[in-house]
Amino acid sequence: MNQPLIQTSGSWNNAAIAGLVGDGRVHSRVYTDPDIFNLELERIYARSWVFVGHDSEVPEVGDYLTRTIGRTSVILVRGKDRVVRVLVNRCRHRGAQVCEAESGNTKFFRCWYHGWVYDTDGALLELTGDGAYDERMQRNNMGLAEVPRVDTYRGFVFASLAPAGEPLDTFLGATTSVIDVMVDASPTGELYADGGAHKMEYRGNWKLVGMDGYHPVYLHASVLETMHRNPDAGIGATHRSNPFTDDAPTYTRDFGHGHAMLDFREHRLKQYDQHSAFLQKIPGGAEYIAAMHAAYGEERARMLLAISGDPHLGLFPNLQLIHNQIRIINPLAVDHTQVTMIAVRLGGVSDEINAQRLRQHESFYGPSGAGAPDDSEIFERVQRGMLAEVNPWLDISRGMARERIDSDGSVVGRMSDEVPQRGILRYWLKLMTQSA
Amino acid sequence: MNSPVDNVAQLHGQALREVELFLFHEAALADANQYEEWLALWTEDLLYWVPCNADEIDPQRKISLIYDQRPQLEDRIFRLGTRHAYAQRPRSRLTRLVANIVLEDYDATAGGWVSSRFIATEMRHNTQTLWSGRMRHRLVRVDGALRLREKHVFLLNNDAPMGNLTFII
Repeated sequence: MNQPLIQTSGSWNNAAIAGLVGDGRVHSRVYTDPDIFNLELERIYARSWVFVGHDSEVPEVGDYLTRTIGRTSVILVRGKDRVVRVLVNRCRHRGAQVCEAESGNTKFFRCWYHGWVYDTDGALLELTGDGAYDERMQRNNMGLAEVPRVDTYRGFVFASLAPAGEPLDTFLGATTSVIDVMVDASPTGELYADGGAHKMEYRGNWKLVGMDGYHPVYLHASVLETMHRNPDAGIGATHRSNPFTDDAPTYTRDFGHGHAMLDFREHRLKQYDQHSAFLQKIPGGAEYIAAMHAAYGEERARMLLAISGDPHLGLFPNLQLIHNQIRIINPLAVDHTQVTMIAVRLGGVSDEINAQRLRQHESFYGPSGAGAPDDSEIFERVQRGMLAEVNPWLDISRGMARERIDSDGSVVGRMSDEVPQRGILRYWLKLMTQSA
Repeated sequence: MNSPVDNVAQLHGQALREVELFLFHEAALADANQYEEWLALWTEDLLYWVPCNADEIDPQRKISLIYDQRPQLEDRIFRLGTRHAYAQRPRSRLTRLVANIVLEDYDATAGGWVSSRFIATEMRHNTQTLWSGRMRHRLVRVDGALRLREKHVFLLNNDAPMGNLTFII
């Protein structure tokens, strides 16, 4: 009897999952199968470190916002002790969400169903009609659940629903120095994620966002044509000439753990003089350049200014730091994804520099940008195309023969090579076939 | 013979009618994706603003969906006119109603501010999407004709996740 190569229904065992990712190829079911999606929530989102928010989003005592870790709604809140916590948004009584607002400031969270009240540190403050309970109700143990593990790097708050696992610094590995590039675009090392958020959604799998240096020349041809008209227009003012050709000193980088980067550093350093001249046309630009040199020394200041706070880094599974945004990828269903692009503000620079960064972001990102809607358009086209079951394999072999290992352990390829795709799926497979 | 009150009402009616016809014309060009003709309605100095997350934001401190002055709007129209603006291939088919038009701080000779409401229905990829909200137009009279100096669009859903808003709203 013929054994089907890929399971068509029911429970996926590890061997079947392993069969989905091959040498330079991946099966469409990775992106289209609802059972695989449910397993992802269980084995990736419920276990791994997941980005929740930046602590600058809740600067004051009582500030909160709601986010999700997979399907788990959580509250990021700064308590009276100024500690930022990640609480599960679920009343300990009958399970209602205690916080429906997207963000705000509060002294407590009150469940509307039966009036239970929780402090901003999660503790149960009021148990209504508590004469009905005896000592079996352990009030001290009935606060909002805290997410088992929370840790931060430079204000980026990560949480894990798993009580045990590798520490955050092991998870982030060599990417921390790349995260620094975003924060240290501020001469005072202050990043504020308070510039507002573009919220987009598309009918496609969450992993399609990925990190791809092959597509810009083709999918974003309209943007490149616009950049030719005016080199300082939009994100052209950061990219400077075409960094997406294979002879440009730009690279794809796989850090392991599914973390991947489009590395523009060398290319942008070559454009430093042009970029510096551009900054000096903006009020406060010359002061910004001087402050960066004073804070970081000439060599690092030039690199930081050239890269313009744009690490172009993806941290698996749900965070990307791209241009002036903190991007959160939120899986809603196997074919439905929400992407939140939070604009950041740099401390220690003029309002005009920050405003220019907002305008640059708008030019490409968000529902009315010149780039992001074309990305969503193609993700939806891919999602529809992948339903075809004839030759269901996607090819991700580009540049396999020319990968090299860098001194920091990362795998490096040319800009258009599918190093990120292979790295992300290698780690995806590891998590998806790992026992609890 | 008309009373002075009637004359004021008549003049107001004429001014309102002229503004209405201008807004209807603008809406028709946008519906038909006639980008160049739509751009020609604008003055040299311009602001095309669609705030994001809330209506009253400070655009110097918060991102908007669209915050275009002339260079950005020219880039937007240029890009939509290339063959590679894929989120508009196929282009959105649109029909919009502009209503509740009120002359706010408006003078028939010089122009001024006009508020209105709109409902735009979009058809693309077999999906019908409803967009709606408030608008604020700043019109100025140039060489006898009304031109558009500012347009602010306050989308009802500007705080919610959305798909593709690459057409002219």
